[in-house]
Amino acid sequence: MNVLNVHDLSVEYAMNPGVLRAVDHVSLVVESGEAVGIVGESGCGKTSLGLAIPLLLPANATIASGSIEVSGEQVVGRSEVEVNLLRWTKVAFIFQGAMNALNPLHRVDAQILEAISAHEPDVPKAVAYAKVVELLNLVGIATKRARSYPHEFSGGMRQRVMIAMALACRPALLIADEPTTALDVISQAQILNLLLELRRTQDLSLVMISHDLAAIKRVCDRIVVMYAGIVVETGTTDEVLGRSSVVASPAHPYTRALIQAHPSLRRERSLSEGLAGHPPDLSVAIQGCRFADRCPDAQSLCREVEPPTITVSPGHSATCHFALGEAS
Amino acid sequence: MKKDVTADATVVLDVVNLVVHFPVRRGWRRRTVVRAVDDVSFQIHRGEIVALVGESGCGKSTIAMAVMRLLVPTSGNIVSGGQDLALLRGRKLRAARRRLQMIFQDPFGSLDSRQRVYDAVAEPLIIHRIGSSKSERDEMVINALDLAHLRPPERLAEMFPHELSGGQRQRVAIAAAMVMQPDLVVADEPVSMLDVSARVGILRLMMDLRDRLGISYLFITHDLATAWVVADRIAVVYLGRIVEIGAVTTVVGAPSHPYTRALLDVTDDDSGEQSLRVLKGETPSALQIPSGCRFHPRCPRYLELGGPDVCRTMDPSLDAVGEGGDDHRCACHFAKVST
Repeated sequence: MNVLNVHDLSVEYAMNPGVLRAVDHVSLVVESGEAVGIVGESGCGKTSLGLAIPLLLPANATIASGSIEVSGEQVVGRSEVEVNLLRWTKVAFIFQGAMNALNPLHRVDAQILEAISAHEPDVPKAVAYAKVVELLNLVGIATKRARSYPHEFSGGMRQRVMIAMALACRPALLIADEPTTALDVISQAQILNLLLELRRTQDLSLVMISHDLAAIKRVCDRIVVMYAGIVVETGTTDEVLGRSSVVASPAHPYTRALIQAHPSLRRERSLSEGLAGHPPDLSVAIQGCRFADRCPDAQSLCREVEPPTITVSPGHSATCHFALGEAS
Repeated sequence: MKKDVTADATVVLDVVNLVVHFPVRRGWRRRTVVRAVDDVSFQIHRGEIVALVGESGCGKSTIAMAVMRLLVPTSGNIVSGGQDLALLRGRKLRAARRRLQMIFQDPFGSLDSRQRVYDAVAEPLIIHRIGSSKSERDEMVINALDLAHLRPPERLAEMFPHELSGGQRQRVAIAAAMVMQPDLVVADEPVSMLDVSARVGILRLMMDLRDRLGISYLFITHDLATAWVVADRIAVVYLGRIVEIGAVTTVVGAPSHPYTRALLDVTDDDSGEQSLRVLKGETPSALQIPSGCRFHPRCPRYLELGGPDVCRTMDPSLDAVGEGGDDHRCACHFAKVST
């Protein structure tokens, strides 16, 4: 069964005047045990997509179309009370910069305990506390440090606490928005290793939102590339980003530009041409391909006709007229 | 001695035995000291880009602050333009600082939101009393904006920070630095808060200014991959000390220190295996620097060798590795000779 089934989802923000469509008819399926990475520049809609899943969008946003099923349960159109029952137990969310969201006045163990008792009020306190310790151990925090305050922890340790908290009610799906962005390299690698281990041992499905292609490549099976509110490419990480034995074969010029913009020890010591310009303004209608203005290979066709989504190989598709090399 | 084509022999900055200690109180009346920077020496030549790389809390930003004389070093020399900045004060310090400029990490925090771009760039001119008339300063500001690729400069000058993207704001910070015609720019994580697309543009601009105007950079980053593309030399910093320094190709291609090796392992985005070999634990606190080699409690090589006594008892010095002369130095009792 699919843990997550997003179909034809559109998210709109009320602007003054008009509306801005941040997510435009996006579909996304996450199978049980799968890890999917969502990448793209800021403002391309990846966070809006992530926030829409547990209905945590800000007040000026509305879901304009589509459906979201989490573990088979429809989320769109449910009341706040009903969705609250799904949050944490079916789907947990780690926000960007979440490690700074811990309450500085309370000990770490008490904060996790609170999360457990809020969702499982019938569980005796001692049992719940045993679970807190188990969770902390699971994310690599020793029992003796459970009674620490957040300020006694480094950024990486606090992020571990947030992950422990997210796992408190055994969700089937964890959505992590930029989980490693504010950390330094060693802590980043430790958190990524932890996520990999949790996937293996806890049967956890993962949606990881990041602009860091290296992090996505390390943790995720599949990658979804978003640009200007739409999915422009999706495929296995091995196929799109490559792995030692597999040659990377990104099919969309935007994906290629993203990869090139990322400095890598494996490539020559030179700066790529990179990605000039900005994503388009989504509050006005765009004719043709959304990436055409920044695309090095854009033809007149691209500026006139919206490109179809073309299957490059089984499970790998790209929204580009020239995904297969020639216009189709 | 290998030398980069873009760097010439003129030393723009010579940091000698720099030490920065911060006094702290631990509880009631117990005073102790944080050894944030502990005996650091390095040189930067004209047109050279030197990257300081290390984890958060390793002291790399403190080194930058000391070089800018934004804090007073405990001891050591910071020689630039024939003067020792560590000894200067007041007006003389301000005059010497003209040739050193700094770019900060956060382009959202480093600009005053009520100040137009023009005023942000013109402010250092006014502070240093450069330019005899308003029109002369105007020209300097417009030139600096143009140099930072903020085009058209006349229009950008009238804008407020909130009207600019993150990349554009960082360009304003660069323009404000360039208007002083510095020899050296200290850049503290200048791209880590920017989007990938903006990053390349900022790095390109910095390198372009180096090529055209011979500006040197002290480039502070935690990302070895970024250092790999921009820097001529890399200095790896661990707990307030340089543990390895050398040409970028040597340090990345044939690292000698086990800490450099560990940083490279986590930076390599195509190691084949998903799970990484990662150092255990966090950087120990600069309040309690381990005895002997400060890296030994986390060192994989120390474990491999069965915990040799020398690592626990003797602090290794930063010595030349192999035949490379003074070019490549490493502070490890069991430094690997580069091939």
